[in-house]
Amino acid sequence: MAELALNNAIKRYGATQVIHGVDLQVEDGDFCVFVGPSGCGKSTLLRMIAGLEDTTEGRMTIGTRDVTHADPARRGVSMVFQTYALYPHMTVRENMSFGLKIGGTPKAEITRKVDEAAQILKLTDYMDRRPKALSGGQRQRVAIGRAIVRQPDVFLFDEPLSNLDAELRVEMRVEIAKLHKQLGATMIYVTHDQVEAMTMADKIVVLRDGRIEQAGPPARLYEDPDNLFVAGFIGSPRMNFFEGVVERTESGQALVSLPCLGGVAVPVAVTAALRPGQAVKIGLRPEHFEPGGQIQVDLNIEVIENLGGVSYAYAAGAQDTHPVIVEMRGTSRPTEGGALTMGFDPAVALLFDSETGLRLR
Amino acid sequence: MSMTDVHSAPRANHGADWDQIRRRAKSILVHGIVLALVGLMLLPLVYMVMMSFKTSTEIAQDPLGLPDSLYWGNYMAALSSMGYLRSVLNSLGITLSVIVVVVFAGAMAAYPLARLENRISRVIVMVMALGLATPNFVTITPIYVIFRDLGLLDSYLGIVLAFAALKLPLAVFFYTSFIAAIPIELEEAARLDNCNNWQIFWHVIRPLLAPVTATLSLFVMIMVWNDFIYPLLLLTDKDKLTVMIAVYKFVGNTGIDPTKLFPAAVLGSLPLLIMFALFQRKIMAGATAGAVK
Ligand SMILES: Nc1ncnc2c1ncn2[C@@H]1O[C@H](COP(=O)(O)OP(=O)(O)O)[C@@H](O)[C@H]1O
Ligand SMILES: [Mg+2]
Repeated sequence: MAELALNNAIKRYGATQVIHGVDLQVEDGDFCVFVGPSGCGKSTLLRMIAGLEDTTEGRMTIGTRDVTHADPARRGVSMVFQTYALYPHMTVRENMSFGLKIGGTPKAEITRKVDEAAQILKLTDYMDRRPKALSGGQRQRVAIGRAIVRQPDVFLFDEPLSNLDAELRVEMRVEIAKLHKQLGATMIYVTHDQVEAMTMADKIVVLRDGRIEQAGPPARLYEDPDNLFVAGFIGSPRMNFFEGVVERTESGQALVSLPCLGGVAVPVAVTAALRPGQAVKIGLRPEHFEPGGQIQVDLNIEVIENLGGVSYAYAAGAQDTHPVIVEMRGTSRPTEGGALTMGFDPAVALLFDSETGLRLR
Repeated sequence: MSMTDVHSAPRANHGADWDQIRRRAKSILVHGIVLALVGLMLLPLVYMVMMSFKTSTEIAQDPLGLPDSLYWGNYMAALSSMGYLRSVLNSLGITLSVIVVVVFAGAMAAYPLARLENRISRVIVMVMALGLATPNFVTITPIYVIFRDLGLLDSYLGIVLAFAALKLPLAVFFYTSFIAAIPIELEEAARLDNCNNWQIFWHVIRPLLAPVTATLSLFVMIMVWNDFIYPLLLLTDKDKLTVMIAVYKFVGNTGIDPTKLFPAAVLGSLPLLIMFALFQRKIMAGATAGAVK
């Protein structure tokens, strides 16, 4: 077990730079999730940590060891691949033993470790099967088992659940979380699914175009995002953004008017320097709307999505491209095509600079 | 599903009957054509075996008929004067040696060629492709000259090396395309599992090549076994001749004696047929393999 630190890590393929100076600290025993849109460099960063890709510049340490240019097998990491990458010609037992065997571990110890991992992962009945004769979930377990027996300092997962069906995905999500508790190991988990990120992580790292947009505990990213990208990426359904203009500022507060919501004026607490007339955006999550909120807005409902416990109303027009999404609880059941008056508390509204996309606090 | 079946059954009944008949007829037709083709292909073989059991008078009187009885005299004569056993052992030894060399050298050459993405490996693959496209006869003179200068004429080593060199492009081609289809993640997993390059090849790649190796071996076996030119070119010692050359020498080139030709032809191809029968299942598995997942 050990913590992992990246210091200005850079990756270039020839002239193309895909990772732009990543600084990252993952504490010992943390479950850290890399999340971001497809192509943002999650896999590349993970593979750099695994040693499967060279780190072009920068430094990487695991525990106290500098592993920047270390051989993959010497880093104390295990990786679970998206495609599982099980050896097709080996049985489950052989798949799990292989690394230890190559490493010269005594037979009795291999058997003990493999049996133990099989126990944890409920694979005991399948030990003599080939991967071909296993279901997707079982293969996934074998891949995890292969990672466990090596007792790595850091576990690496690259979208391990993306090949499973929805039901199994939820099941395995819970199992991996349990496994993390049981082993207490440092884990780094790549996904493009922000629900996976929110539910599993101690620490989420949001990546975009090879840069970290924000890193922190899920709750902080959700409640206190640093920029429009993180605010929009974390949370489902996504946050609503409204174009606004700063009307005036006074000690620790700015009055922002929202032309798109009928010109309502929203007082927002902010210490950053703003000038009147500056273009800003106000972010409001769907659940921030309440019938009795201080600031009332009128919306025209286009579609209602009823999920049973909650339903989401999609209202037209107020935003440029996306509809306004409002979470509805309780008994109020507006109709599609009808009008809805909702309110929100200005204290929960997040303020962003329209130009830079940065949060204004 | 059963609901729809129940409801649609009466309406579709009439059509279904016709469908069934049409399908049955089609199946009979296809099978008939296949059987006819198989018969056509087997005909020469059957004829060869039939003729080999006839006396010369029988052949003269009734060349197409069945033999009156199984007459073993032709075989006795052939076996006693063509040095059959010796030549079979020669052919077997040469063929198997060539297969071993071609499989090992081919797979090991193909692995880096399939995985390295640089100009040199692409050029090598192209040269190998040229080797595949080169007509057999073009290489006769250079090979003779080179092997004469190396002092490898009339030696087992020489003939094995010559065949191996000639068949290597095929092996490299087989293996590069097959290895290229093996997911790179398997190798990366092995790298994390402590393997060096050689161990990755030996423990991960090589086992996956087993089926394609069986198919390749069959190809090489048939080509080497039946080859006529190179043994004739490189071997002179009577004790080193291959089966095909022994057959040729036994039958002679002055005229065709059916009582010699047919038993010799049967004897020449028999070992190949036996080997094919023995390894048939493995070979077919290789021919249909390919997907690693
Ligand atoms: N071998 C490579 N050569 C050049 N560019 C690459 C290579 N591998 C990945 N990239 C680029 O790096 C970026 C990040 O890729 P990747 O890490 O796979 O993204 P993610 O896993 O987040 O979807 C992509 O834009 C991709 O095109
Ligand atoms: Mg990826």
